[in-house]
Amino acid sequence: MSLHVLAAGFRSTVQDLGRPRYARLGVPESGPADPFAQRAANALVGNDPDACAIEIVGLPFTVRTDDARVFAVTGPDVWAVGVRRLPGWTALFVRAGEELTVRGSERTRYAYLAVSGGIDLPPVLGSRASLPAASLGPIPRALVAGDKLPLGPARGARPGLRIEAPAYDGTVAVIAGPHRDRFAASVVRALSEAAFDVLPDSDRMGVRLEGPPLESAAGEILTCGLVGGAVQVPRGGAPIVLLADRGTTGGYPVIATVIRAHLGRVAQAVPGQPLRFYWVERERAVEALRLERRALVPRSD
Amino acid sequence: MKLLPFGEGALFVELEQRIAPEIAARAAAIADSWEGRGAGTAISAYASVVLRFDPLLLEAGEAERLARAAIADADAVTKSATPRDVRIPTTYDGPDLTEVAELSSLSVDEVVAIHAAGRYRAYFLGFMPGWAYLGPLDPRLHAPRRPVPRARVPAGSVAVIDGQTGIYPYDSPGGWRLIGHTDVKLFDAAADRPSLINPGDTVRFVPT
Repeated sequence: MSLHVLAAGFRSTVQDLGRPRYARLGVPESGPADPFAQRAANALVGNDPDACAIEIVGLPFTVRTDDARVFAVTGPDVWAVGVRRLPGWTALFVRAGEELTVRGSERTRYAYLAVSGGIDLPPVLGSRASLPAASLGPIPRALVAGDKLPLGPARGARPGLRIEAPAYDGTVAVIAGPHRDRFAASVVRALSEAAFDVLPDSDRMGVRLEGPPLESAAGEILTCGLVGGAVQVPRGGAPIVLLADRGTTGGYPVIATVIRAHLGRVAQAVPGQPLRFYWVERERAVEALRLERRALVPRSD
Repeated sequence: MKLLPFGEGALFVELEQRIAPEIAARAAAIADSWEGRGAGTAISAYASVVLRFDPLLLEAGEAERLARAAIADADAVTKSATPRDVRIPTTYDGPDLTEVAELSSLSVDEVVAIHAAGRYRAYFLGFMPGWAYLGPLDPRLHAPRRPVPRARVPAGSVAVIDGQTGIYPYDSPGGWRLIGHTDVKLFDAAADRPSLINPGDTVRFVPT
């Protein structure tokens, strides 16, 4: 049974939770830019968290399914059109042969589409995620109209279940980065006091920001390993928040790290919607992640 | 040595602030030791290691204790792979070759001879699949990072910056100085050893 892609958007890819085990060969982690949204889509259709789903960039995105399946669409301001208008963040029943179109607003940078049973592709280096920059993955490129994606055996998913969409409000908690002490106190303050604009050349590697320059005393550092959410400050002082397709290592100091529960707020930010950072302790980050995972249980309300 | 949080799901081990084969080897051994404990994956670099774990499964204090144990045991960890000699057939025709020669007050032929005479250690892999950080580069070659990185460096470009050399496995943006190119495939996900160059290997550039 297959999912037929009829309209593919602009840079849409298949993603699972990525390939963290190959970082020491220089292989980027990949996975969804907005991890909560993809996890929610998979949870709504009864899939495992690591199931392969579609990360949509550029709407509308249209699919047709060979057999009856449960679908879910997530992301900021998303909805779907089948035989009628359907809500986002909800498990949707789609009949065999029916088309479903994912829609959103100008605030939808990434939308996620999960199908019960998941997209069934052979893993490459332990993952089905596409990394077009290195032609990596079972589909080593962005999706195009005409793609036929094999689906796994459908599970007993219940249409109508809902997960509440998170706040995409641009407020972002950060914990101290490993190189924070290489920045002057005034720079550390500036990160949490100023508003940062998102630049249009942001992508799955990182979100580029414009605000007061965050010059470090150090300039460059010895190249070191990186994690998702790292706020890297290149020369010139314009920070970059690193996302799923970041290089595994980098040579710029990391002033802060965005907490995992707020990665989606950063990834989904669009130009004109400024980001505001605030410092928290590590414990708060773990608590926020715990709450987020609890929120992944679909409700029938 | 410093042990610092790196996000809620990783620790950052900073050994020193310099490039030396024995420090990179120690960083790699700590990464092996951490991964051997099964708590998560690690990323070693010149003189630091990122130790990753699931913050919902491992409490911060416990992760730190485990990290200290992994660091203490690192010297006992045996290397997984035997280092190899890798030869890279290289055409020295890069767009920055003349500029590197000028910056170094050398002739182009001298730059090529010096670069090709080096035996480079692969300190670690990072940045993109199959990219090996190679060094040390002869200090007679001066190649500061380009002030404005190129938007697209072609795959196979042989590049230098002060103290280091490397080969771009894929088309990508990049700020290193390009002195030549190779047609060798550096990364193949389907191969048993996906990366041609692996940490600890010795790399030589052979002019063609």
